[in-house]
Amino acid sequence: MLGLHTSGGYPSSGYNNQPTAWNNGSYANYTSYQYPNYTSDTSSAYSSVSAPATYQQQYKQWPEYYSQTEVTCAPGTEHLSAASNSNHGSSLPTSLPPPPPLPPPSLTPTWRPETSSSELPSMQPGGAASGAHDNYWNQPAPSFQTHLAAPTQPIYQNSLDSKTSYENFQELKTAPQGLNSQYPVVHQVSQNYQSTLPTVPSFDARRVSKLQIPTNPRIASNAALGIAKTEKDSYAANSAPRPAYISVSVQKPNDKPTMLPKSLRGYVERAFGRYKDDDAKRAACEAYMKDIITEARADGTLYTRDWDSEPLFTVPDSLSISKAYNKSPVRRSKSRWEPLAEEKMLEKPVSASNEIGKYGSWDRKTFSGYSATKDNSLSSFRFSGPQQRTPSKSAQRPMKRQRIVNGTGLTNNDDDASSDSDKEQSLTAYYSGAMALANNPEEKKRRESRSKRFDRGQGHRPDINYFKPKNAGPANLYTRRASALMLSKSFDDSANQAVEDIDWDALTVKGTCQEIEKRFLRLTSAPDPSTVRPEDVLEKALLMVQNSQKNYLYKCDQLKSIRQDITVQRIRNQLTVKVYETHARLAMEVGDLAEYNQCQSQLQILYSEGIEGCLMEFAAYNLLCVILHSNNKKDLLTSMSRLTPEAKEDDAVKHALAVRAAVTSGNYVTFFRLYKSAPNLNTCLMDLYVEKMRYKAAVCMSKSYRPTVPISYIAQILGFSNAADENGETELSGLDECLEWLKAHGASLITDNTGEMQLDAKASSSTLYMPEPEDAVAHGDSSLAVNDFLARTT
Amino acid sequence: MAYLSMGESHRRITDYLNRFADAINYQDGDSLARLFSVSSDSPSLLSLADALNVFQDANRLIKQSEKFSQFGEVVAPFFRSLQCYRLGNLVDAYGAFEKASNAFIQEFRNWESGWALEALYVIAYEIRVLAERADRELASNGKSPEKLKGAGSFLMKVFGVLAGSCDLQGKGPKRVGALYVTCQLFKIYFKLGTVNLCRSVIRSIETARIFDFEEFPIRDKVTYMYYTGRLEVLNENFPAADQKLSYALTHCCLSKEANIRMILKYLIPVKLSIGILPKKQLLENYDLVEYNNIVEALKRGDLRLLRSALQENEDQFLRSGVYLVLEKLELQVYQRLLKKIYIIQKQKDPSKAHQVKLEVIVKALKWLEIEMDLDEVECIVAILIYKNLMKGYFAHKSKVVVLSKQDPFPKLNGKPVAS
Repeated sequence: MLGLHTSGGYPSSGYNNQPTAWNNGSYANYTSYQYPNYTSDTSSAYSSVSAPATYQQQYKQWPEYYSQTEVTCAPGTEHLSAASNSNHGSSLPTSLPPPPPLPPPSLTPTWRPETSSSELPSMQPGGAASGAHDNYWNQPAPSFQTHLAAPTQPIYQNSLDSKTSYENFQELKTAPQGLNSQYPVVHQVSQNYQSTLPTVPSFDARRVSKLQIPTNPRIASNAALGIAKTEKDSYAANSAPRPAYISVSVQKPNDKPTMLPKSLRGYVERAFGRYKDDDAKRAACEAYMKDIITEARADGTLYTRDWDSEPLFTVPDSLSISKAYNKSPVRRSKSRWEPLAEEKMLEKPVSASNEIGKYGSWDRKTFSGYSATKDNSLSSFRFSGPQQRTPSKSAQRPMKRQRIVNGTGLTNNDDDASSDSDKEQSLTAYYSGAMALANNPEEKKRRESRSKRFDRGQGHRPDINYFKPKNAGPANLYTRRASALMLSKSFDDSANQAVEDIDWDALTVKGTCQEIEKRFLRLTSAPDPSTVRPEDVLEKALLMVQNSQKNYLYKCDQLKSIRQDITVQRIRNQLTVKVYETHARLAMEVGDLAEYNQCQSQLQILYSEGIEGCLMEFAAYNLLCVILHSNNKKDLLTSMSRLTPEAKEDDAVKHALAVRAAVTSGNYVTFFRLYKSAPNLNTCLMDLYVEKMRYKAAVCMSKSYRPTVPISYIAQILGFSNAADENGETELSGLDECLEWLKAHGASLITDNTGEMQLDAKASSSTLYMPEPEDAVAHGDSSLAVNDFLARTT
Repeated sequence: MAYLSMGESHRRITDYLNRFADAINYQDGDSLARLFSVSSDSPSLLSLADALNVFQDANRLIKQSEKFSQFGEVVAPFFRSLQCYRLGNLVDAYGAFEKASNAFIQEFRNWESGWALEALYVIAYEIRVLAERADRELASNGKSPEKLKGAGSFLMKVFGVLAGSCDLQGKGPKRVGALYVTCQLFKIYFKLGTVNLCRSVIRSIETARIFDFEEFPIRDKVTYMYYTGRLEVLNENFPAADQKLSYALTHCCLSKEANIRMILKYLIPVKLSIGILPKKQLLENYDLVEYNNIVEALKRGDLRLLRSALQENEDQFLRSGVYLVLEKLELQVYQRLLKKIYIIQKQKDPSKAHQVKLEVIVKALKWLEIEMDLDEVECIVAILIYKNLMKGYFAHKSKVVVLSKQDPFPKLNGKPVAS
């Protein structure tokens, strides 16, 4: 393996295109098998089933892998290969994942295909114009296959991507984007790249010249923009759907060992950074990296070596090529995870150029370039690269199609290819399988119908619908989750998705998390069972919150997470009611109306389903809320007419109705009496109306009283003093409060000859005003102002 | 169902098809309308339904001749609807009828003149009635009633067709049908409790230049005013409600007593709110006795009577949506009570009549078996003065209402109580 490393140059761009090449190969293969009709739509062939399945396979493999590495502390290649073989069938040692501490391979594979596809328009005509394809029409399949093998590596990489953590994204982001921009970096890092540098300009130049061949000026100019740009674009576009990946990464066993020194991790990151958009390379790099670390461990220099100054190594392309093949299915499946954003870019070009003939000729063309030069010439390799990349979009799809229908058989085929020598054989088997499928009349029909869609330039949007039916009743959790992810993804993009067709029961999560405490995080993807608490744990969590001494912010957060877990598990019983009631009460206590309303509306649904709870109490709250805060006459009438005779006898409801009457008639005396005698938390809802009521009362009094009104009376009437006890002190504080309030609202106060403070009614009638609430905030809801909120709740 | 021979069934179906074809060919809107009115339970349609249930393959008859088959898309689902209706399967009857209606609307769109408006009216009516019945059936089966909502969106589409027909030809002949559809929509929205949906239709009726309100049939205008008046009652915008409901009342055909009663049901509370009391005769003529005691309470200043009257008919008032309006009459009752105290005091001692002691009011309320303490009464008095139902001021120190010497109890005279 080490020998291989030293042998190779750095055909980075070439690697980028390898997936393409491979796809082209497969495509070419079809044509040679007389399948000219095998249009891009076959592509659509996204295997809904196989995607989750393969992913899951990989996923399963990882935990074991990690556990083993943890035990041995040194990821031995042999050992690992054994592990992976047992799990996955037959993967080459070289294709093994990197040692755990390595940053998981960057996400490049996911966007690279898009890059290539984005270039599709520009490149294709070029290929067609070259007209070289005729020579290659009858090119034997084996010659393709050698090339085809190469791209399979990225496929494997894709599976690794699923484990990519967010940090890696970050890392990627900071890394130079685009191939060309990357070269200088590489150069600085390693001497080995010297050889690659000269090729860069030539490659570019040649590419451009090639691109100028096309007769279509529009496309040519398009191409002239260069790869770097398109890559950047695609990268940017890719950043949007990232959450999906992140969510995937959540599920992975997160026992990523951290025992390696930080400097080594940095080293590894640097090593991978170079290959961030080259799957094959990175896989090779991983393997190599593993060797280095194993070695370092063996001779005890793991912690002593200065990794920061350790030179980076080069990855030979041959190595990655040989490796690449094995994991091909994973890549296919992964492609469905590709962000859809780029599809838009694609749409037009694809529709413009989806004639089969063009594809065919183009494919051959790219291959010719590739095969002719591959042996020794890096530059030609590179040169052919971009071209090969272009048809990848269309060519890639047929493979996906096969996966759907041929699911397991294909994986087996791929797994058989445990060595380079097996490659041809397995490929043949692979394709013959595909052919058999293609011959199937049903299959043909499906392809036809899909090709029609493709003609419309829809990209793979419609295709997305294809995985839906297959998602129904997935066998296990992970496929289920994966399919849920896909669903959620496809919802975003295709509005015409038929929601009714989804088997929600199959998608319902059963939680396994045993943690009682959990922070609320708004889900951006399908929930992960390992982070969802089952019902019994939720009950404990609710109790914990109820008995907690912490502030509302904490409780709200906890309750929201409980609510989320309940919702995703579709629990609808007394626990649900209890949780919502608890939250509603807490929200009321601090005046968090928004949260309260959410709970109240849920509660009304739950009660109407016949689940028991504090129905009367919340009926009263509902009434109060409508009366005091929405002031919608129609709603009020409906709420009132829905009250049962028993409800009208309930104290809380009676109180609420009395409050309503007081508010509609403007009877402030009754209102503040009711305020003091409120049952349950009715006071809390009334609290929010107190200011308004006091102001109305003050206006009313200043207009109807002459000449003065004693402040003490106002304080008593408007609920300032706690009149419950006749304690003078309380009385006084209420009086002071009232004074402050009146002053704040512009009342004119005088002291009469007995020294008692009086409201000068006549003077006040023209000066009263509603002051801007001191805690007013721009968004209009002061309860959202964190500082204030904290002050009130702690 | 008496036994029906195959031949007789055949005859009845062909007869209907002939009538249908003739009605369209002669552009006879009235005849066509009659042929669509499923829920009218007319003998001819009922016998046709029986015939259809005997002669199962009506579609063959329709396809048989070119004369019928051109209306196949309308008639075939209509037959199915009629069959289902006859068999009591209202959900399917509605579904099929909506299908037939959709096909009819497509045809209607292409007809230049508005000859078929009568038929369209019947369809708009039938679709609502069938949807209501279908919903009742759904609800009784424990399913969620959703057909009326569907009928709402269908009628919105019809409204669009009628309004849209005008854009092309300036003032199209079909636009006059828009108000009828609007009224059916109102009925649906009020039934569903989604009255806020009325707003968009109202806006297009009142602002779109193609509509001249006076042009619409008087029948539709009355219905429209009735519903918009009710909306104003909900908003407690009494002057507007008064104006709309009064229009409906004055233009409503006198023979339609039920309609007049419905209008009065809302108009009376509105009039009471602006201080205009109805004659007892009116309430009795239109069987609106639930308002009797309320009017009486206003006349006598009898708070107890008002409260008991409200209590008695609470459910009814809540459902019709006038409860909150009637409840607000309480202030007027207080005003009346105070006025009576003032008049009595004036008879006793004119010089001190304008000073009413709070205690006196509390005592008067006690006689009415209403327990209120001084603070509460003081508050009521303050509100009365504030709302300009009473002129004067309240002296807190001496707990005395000092009334203005001129017109201490101003009449509302058609103006609402100040808010």
